Amino acid sequence: MSSFTKSAQQWASFARSWFLIDARMQPPGKIATMCSVRLQGKHKPIYHALSDCGDHVVIMNTRHIAFSGNKWEQKVYSSHTGFPGGFKQVTAAQLHHKDPTAIIKLAVYGMLPRNLHRRTMMQRLHLFPDDVLPDDVLQNLTEELPQPRAVPRKLSEYTQEERDAFPMLWTPPEDYRMK
Amino acid sequence: MVFLTLSCWIRSRGPDRYWRVQEVLKNARHFRGRKNRCFSLAVRAVRRAFVYATKARKAKRHHMRQLWISRIAAASREHGMKYPALIHNLVKTDVQVNRRILSDLAITEPRSFLSLAALAKARREEGFRAALGDGKEPAGVFSRIVQSH
Repeated sequence: MSSFTKSAQQWASFARSWFLIDARMQPPGKIATMCSVRLQGKHKPIYHALSDCGDHVVIMNTRHIAFSGNKWEQKVYSSHTGFPGGFKQVTAAQLHHKDPTAIIKLAVYGMLPRNLHRRTMMQRLHLFPDDVLPDDVLQNLTEELPQPRAVPRKLSEYTQEERDAFPMLWTPPEDYRMK
Repeated sequence: MVFLTLSCWIRSRGPDRYWRVQEVLKNARHFRGRKNRCFSLAVRAVRRAFVYATKARKAKRHHMRQLWISRIAAASREHGMKYPALIHNLVKTDVQVNRRILSDLAITEPRSFLSLAALAKARREEGFRAALGDGKEPAGVFSRIVQSH
């Protein structure tokens, strides 16, 4: 084989690809594991911790992530300002209201290895609260990753025929009060 | 006639302590700070360095195996398998290729690795195929059962 194609192969295997993830109605932890694998480059057979072979990951719709259970109220993000009495605790809902990208960012940051490369890898993570992406990011995108969870449909998104065709699971008693 | 006096004198020049110090400092020349020139600091650092080197010789095998495993895991996920499933089924099919060679194959010969992954996948689905399939061999995988007649 000629060296021309070989050099193209070489360039292709060390090039950085840009992955897009749609976080709409997805659990942040699942999104973060997908990200941390790709930011570290652990999805490539040429992986080495020092060879800086990670890719870029773009996450859109971080405003519309979904926590299961009562995590929005019960999950607490703690920090300390360093001053006396500076211990801050906010719930996930408060943090998300303040910065819609913070929850995903913290989840990914916690899943990356604790070394000097962590900040560099975080630089390759691009978070967008909505589905509006700037042009320079859009041009670079190479692949969209499948969502880990199926997006559930709301009752309002079903048509009347589909609602009527849904089988009746139980017969309500005579005195049952429908809302 | 051989004159040994001069060569012996050259070899044994200087006091004995000087040479013993140099033996230690020789190993510390690349160290940082005064450790690379002061004997009393260097001797401790060199001893620690040798201890680390001894331990690292053993740890290197462990680390290399970790690296091979993460590389094989990455390559097998490209073909839709997880690492434990791949290794388990390669062992079951009696493929005697170790992790070092598997990771080399994944980097330099992706198609060889693909065929090994296909073999492992066929072995993995063997039970289901026997129970639910049509009794035929999987396509593209050479079977152990050879019909010679």
